[in-house]
Amino acid sequence: MNLFFFIMSILYGILKFLHWPLWNWYLYGYPAGLWIMYFVDAVIEVILVFAVAMLVVVILVYVFRKYMADIQNRIGPNRLGPWGSLQLIADVFKLIQKQDIIPKNADRIAFRVAPYIIFTPVILGMLVIPFGNVSILQLMVVNFKYTLLFLVAAMVISPLGEVIGGLSSHNKFALYGALRSAAQDIGYEVPMMISVLSLIILAGSYSINDIVNAQKNIPFVIPEILGFIVFFLAMIAKQSIPPFDLPESGSELVSGFSTEYSGMRYGIIYMGNFGFMALASVVVATLYFGGPVGPFFNSVLWIAIKSAVFMIIFLLSWIALGRVRVDQFLNMGWKYLLPLSILNLVISSLIAIYFGGAF
Amino acid sequence: MEKVVEVNFGPQHPSTHGVLRIKVKLDGEIIVDAQPVIGYLHRNAEKLSEMGLYPKALIYMDRLDYVAALNMELGYILSVEKLMDVETPERAQWIRMMMVELNRIASHLVWLGTHGLDMGMLTPFFYCWRERERVLRIFDEITGSRLLYNYFAIGGVYSDVTPKGLEMIKEFVNTFPDRLEEIQSIFQKSYIYAKRTKGVGKLSLEDAIGYGVTGPLLRASGLKWDLRKNQPYLFYDKVNFEVPVYSNGDVYSRFLVRIEEMRQSVRIVKQVLEKLPDGEFYNKKYAKPMLVRMKGNGESYVPTESPKGEFGVYVIGDGSTIPYRVRIRSPSFANLQAVSIMLKGYKIADLTATVSSIDPVFGEVDR
Repeated sequence: MNLFFFIMSILYGILKFLHWPLWNWYLYGYPAGLWIMYFVDAVIEVILVFAVAMLVVVILVYVFRKYMADIQNRIGPNRLGPWGSLQLIADVFKLIQKQDIIPKNADRIAFRVAPYIIFTPVILGMLVIPFGNVSILQLMVVNFKYTLLFLVAAMVISPLGEVIGGLSSHNKFALYGALRSAAQDIGYEVPMMISVLSLIILAGSYSINDIVNAQKNIPFVIPEILGFIVFFLAMIAKQSIPPFDLPESGSELVSGFSTEYSGMRYGIIYMGNFGFMALASVVVATLYFGGPVGPFFNSVLWIAIKSAVFMIIFLLSWIALGRVRVDQFLNMGWKYLLPLSILNLVISSLIAIYFGGAF
Repeated sequence: MEKVVEVNFGPQHPSTHGVLRIKVKLDGEIIVDAQPVIGYLHRNAEKLSEMGLYPKALIYMDRLDYVAALNMELGYILSVEKLMDVETPERAQWIRMMMVELNRIASHLVWLGTHGLDMGMLTPFFYCWRERERVLRIFDEITGSRLLYNYFAIGGVYSDVTPKGLEMIKEFVNTFPDRLEEIQSIFQKSYIYAKRTKGVGKLSLEDAIGYGVTGPLLRASGLKWDLRKNQPYLFYDKVNFEVPVYSNGDVYSRFLVRIEEMRQSVRIVKQVLEKLPDGEFYNKKYAKPMLVRMKGNGESYVPTESPKGEFGVYVIGDGSTIPYRVRIRSPSFANLQAVSIMLKGYKIADLTATVSSIDPVFGEVDR
């Protein structure tokens, strides 16, 4: 994980540097100690976000197991800790103890890096989400003009990790998983981007903060219902959970791109998937349901409630549905989601023209 | 440049239902050629059966199709009884019928659950297993075992149905149809399931007959051929039941056929419960000391309708206490041959759907 923190800190340091007004450098020269300060600052903040994300993942995995067991007439984990709540901790320790197997002919560097790439968007995405205010402290790690663009750019990183992991494993099933991941990626990302674009048109800003503030009266899900549907399906596909778990597809491709992964590397992929589920539900709650803005009071409580609802919906889709076929998914992406998102773009442009400041 | 990739599905693969290996040639996601490779679970059941006394071969029959062991026993027992002209009391025959139908339900439930898993549906599996567990408890009560029963004997059954067992069966047949409805609705109300299975793994009637395909696959391809109706054995001509037939020959039709068969099995069990006569449950002439001295002469074959298709054991006796030849006609073996024509031209994802729709059990394919 050291490598992971290192990469994250550098990425975040660059991010901070970019949004630090560059003209100061021309005016006053660059203070020598500033880089170190930024670096330390970045490390602390990344660790903080990482800790929060991990906590959410631990809770999410526990809820998933118990909820799934409940639906399936089972008991679920009940041995470790109160009501089996420490099961995941035990699993993590077990995975750490496992031998780190790398296939003989694998591309070693790519194979090692891929799980971290899958985990990256969880942290990067969480950095720019406004979680609301606690008295005067705003719970948002980074705030600059283009946070929404940054969020979208961060979220499209994870399929890259799947493709790299699959291609570098030197395994036919993993190869097929990687190819599917790439195909699926193109299938849903274009409609997703277009529906995000219509949000930008509606709010008149690239900043997530502005988008949240624009939803004070009406959440965007009402004017943007088509865009919401597209974005929601894209989010399910992005997490690769059923019905769109094509890159993994347990029953056909053994476990797709992650076939050769074992031990803690697999653990990181697993936690990355759950972390992404948390991120996806937070993003949906923020972009379409106003995030921390809600009736009666504006608080971090609202975003917690909203994203919890979406997490449960994602889990339900995982538990209840079967898997679609690749061609069916691509059909859906190109023939239904893309036209829908373009239609939504037109509608939201019209709304922006005629109602302008109403939203 | 070589465009075709050859991939081994199995013998260790999460959805090959045992140890099936399919050599698949893939062009992208499309299956160009698929050849099943079998023999990984070969245990020499036929030869082992020829090495012991007639009643002793029964345990090998149990281990053929281990999810429907009583159906396998029945095929052998009927054949041997025909060979030796053994008379079986009526009560024993009715009990056999009831047990075989219950086992058919259990076998189809195993199929339904694993079929759901192959389609990526996790939840129906547990519902199916819950229902199957109730059947297994009934078997545990009546036969003493949960999986491999060794229950049918030449001239009857080894133990009578207990009153508690009858109660359990009554409770099961009264509650099962509703629960089956529930499980069925998980599949049938799912748009994704219909999309995945309709028109997939098609098998035309000519091909089905040509390959010797029997059982639910044949009925899903459009031929009304059920040995319980067409060549009745036991007392199947004395009970009312329907034979479900669908003509599409795809995975979805097979699903419908098997679901309907479970309903019909419940119907049969209900009728058996009404008609079950009093009397002996085995023929006293062939009690245990006699059992080992039984000699067979000639040859016999009684085809029976197992959950997978036509099952029969061809027994030749040479006048001694040991069968001269035991040849097993196993349905999955014949059904599995058709897998390569069922798969050609479809996608990889259809492979798991199609293979699971055949419902192969490898104890029986490899024998």
